[in-house]
Amino acid sequence: MKKKLTSVLAASVAMSAVLAGCGSNNDNNNAASPSASASASPSASASASASPSASASEPAKVDPFSMTVRHIQIGEPRKFRLAILNSVLDNVKKDVPEVTFELDGVEDSVNRFTKLPAEMAAGNPPKIFSLFAGAGDAQKYAKAGRLLDLTPIIDELGLKDKFLSVLDPWSVDGKVYGLPIGGNTEGVFYNKDLFAKYNLEAPTTWDALIKAADTFKKNGITPIAVGSKAGWVPNMFVNTLIGRIAGENTNAGFITGEAKWNSPDVVSAYQQYADFEKAGYFTKGELGKTYDDMLNDFIAGKAGMMFDGSWRNSAFTDQKDAEGKPAIGAALAGKVSYIALAPVPNGKGDQTAMNANYAEGYGFSADLNDSELAVVKSFIKNLYSDEMQLRGLLEDGVLPSMKLSDESLAKVTNPLLKEVLDALKNASKTFPHFDQIVQSKVYSETETQLQKLIAGKATAQQVGDAIQKVQDAENAASAK
Amino acid sequence: MKSALKNPYIYLMFVLPTIVLYFMFFIYPTITSFYYGFTNWDGLNDKAFIGLDNFVNAFKDAEFRNSIWNNLIILLFSTCIQVPLIVIFSLLISSVKRFQGFYKTTVFMPSILSTSIIGILWGYIYNPDVGLLNSILKTFGVDTIYWLAEPKLAMFSILVTNAWQWMGFYIVLILAAILAIPKDIDEAAMIDGATGVQRAWYLTVPLIKPIINVVIMLSIAGALRVVDIVLVMTGGGPAGSTDVMASYMVNKAIKFGDYGYGSALSIIIFAIALILTALYQLLIARRQERIEY
Repeated sequence: MKKKLTSVLAASVAMSAVLAGCGSNNDNNNAASPSASASASPSASASASASPSASASEPAKVDPFSMTVRHIQIGEPRKFRLAILNSVLDNVKKDVPEVTFELDGVEDSVNRFTKLPAEMAAGNPPKIFSLFAGAGDAQKYAKAGRLLDLTPIIDELGLKDKFLSVLDPWSVDGKVYGLPIGGNTEGVFYNKDLFAKYNLEAPTTWDALIKAADTFKKNGITPIAVGSKAGWVPNMFVNTLIGRIAGENTNAGFITGEAKWNSPDVVSAYQQYADFEKAGYFTKGELGKTYDDMLNDFIAGKAGMMFDGSWRNSAFTDQKDAEGKPAIGAALAGKVSYIALAPVPNGKGDQTAMNANYAEGYGFSADLNDSELAVVKSFIKNLYSDEMQLRGLLEDGVLPSMKLSDESLAKVTNPLLKEVLDALKNASKTFPHFDQIVQSKVYSETETQLQKLIAGKATAQQVGDAIQKVQDAENAASAK
Repeated sequence: MKSALKNPYIYLMFVLPTIVLYFMFFIYPTITSFYYGFTNWDGLNDKAFIGLDNFVNAFKDAEFRNSIWNNLIILLFSTCIQVPLIVIFSLLISSVKRFQGFYKTTVFMPSILSTSIIGILWGYIYNPDVGLLNSILKTFGVDTIYWLAEPKLAMFSILVTNAWQWMGFYIVLILAAILAIPKDIDEAAMIDGATGVQRAWYLTVPLIKPIINVVIMLSIAGALRVVDIVLVMTGGGPAGSTDVMASYMVNKAIKFGDYGYGSALSIIIFAIALILTALYQLLIARRQERIEY
């Protein structure tokens, strides 16, 4: 009886050993392929070193390992940026030949609001990942000790003075925890063909903007394309309206208590948005439309204008990607213009100020071993270089986050991109989007409330009151 | 070998892995999330015990109340509209002479599709510009209808999709019960001159009551835990009008990073589901007699 029990036990131990053996074999095979998972890499390298071939070679050699790179460059409109990332990773492989990269492409807002927060909570973020700046993202994770302090690497690579003064939202207590790959401004794209067709002036003044909107509406064309299924999309317009109407310093004051969401000025910015909504200037059924729908409507000529980030200019280029495919909006190449939002009558802000953000970039896990750290260093060296910054500008229309020489800037020939650069150059000053300033709960509330405003379920005053309530609670919590 | 099978430890050894997994992935998370419900944990920083604050906030939270209301709408729709439809369809299919298998397969098909597929599929059907539904309506001169973007219509659109997905499964359950009823009962009624409607209403329906009860139970449970179809089709939008308890919880916990509050919401959802199913069991299902042919 006892014997049988022992033999069954022994058999099961033997079975599990065999199974475990299969498991590590699989890991070993996977490590060579790019699809290997990051978590498998430690055991994979362990079993590789145990194998006879590895022990025969020189022992100092680093075993092959794989690293996950979480990026948000997915889909047609972002393919130029993905190409740049791939070139950077190729260069890193020249520096650290043992590394294989597992590219993990995730949609922007899913990464920012769902996946990364959950991974940060569990303490297992990818080694290299796309990160957003500000109190709700980079600074929050940095304070929780999840991000690698990049200050020594920046010093070592001599990058400190190469960046524009854009690292504040990436820093906590003077230490830098993430680096922006570029910048953008948010403004008005308009379809020059449609404006010409209806004899309209460019929407550089408020009157011209209103006249254009009314004319388009009369002719069955959506005046301003928007896709509000995700709240961040209409929030871009609201952010600039707050800058125009309540003043360009308002955003920065929300967390200090100097500015309030329910102050008359901010409420009138929301009211302006509600008025546009009521006038029928935005896409019908916008709450069911995605950000991509907004671009598609604009490209299809269904809308005369759209308020969007300058990064969208690369959708309207006539240059082909590496595979020879045209950009998604190539049909509109040369027919789209970009300008800052027209001055708003009676606005309190500097009416030539413009929104500018350096909020999209990369962060790195605090949990890295030496060889992974070498990869990160090489990644930073290769990505944050004059060459890649210029490629980002020329191929993808992303404004540089680093200082580029006038000579480099002169290489810009794309007229739309020139307009973006000019718009920023002509701005008297710049102000960041509030999504990099306020706490994540407050930001989420702005999305929720704005969608209510769009649905007609809340008035501008109710929206302001509701957001301020969350802001007060968050400010009180951070003062503790 | 025989004696080995009498040894309880051997049995234990075989079930142990399952028990360990069950504890790791079910019991332990349940207990910890119960604990988190009483804290202000944000997923990153240290958590502090805050007593019942989360629960008090939940019932003050107008949007959470709205999401409870949406769950109740789904519950009422599925029990008061869907179940009678299921019974009617089952009766119809049961009396079809030819191609019964074809009908059975057809109605069952949606329930083997994944919810994500169904959500995206119906997203196209509801698409305001190129969708099937609006294209058909347009030929009758109806203006563009924004099925999923109009707060008043979005919930209804989801209800229809959800019904389409699950009705087939219940129809097959009830159909099996109907076909199990001995034919002679039906024939006796027919000889007595009962019409088809009379036979269905006075004979078949009473005889399949126990299985209808099961279907109602499953519908209640299904209505309370519905979330996937909402997340795929609208994500709770437009402006929270299709938020159900679970989708609101997911958004609060994951997107807002409020794990403490999210855990508290999950406990409330659990309690509500428990109370409703218990009420149904005690008040209605218990009173049913067992049916023997």
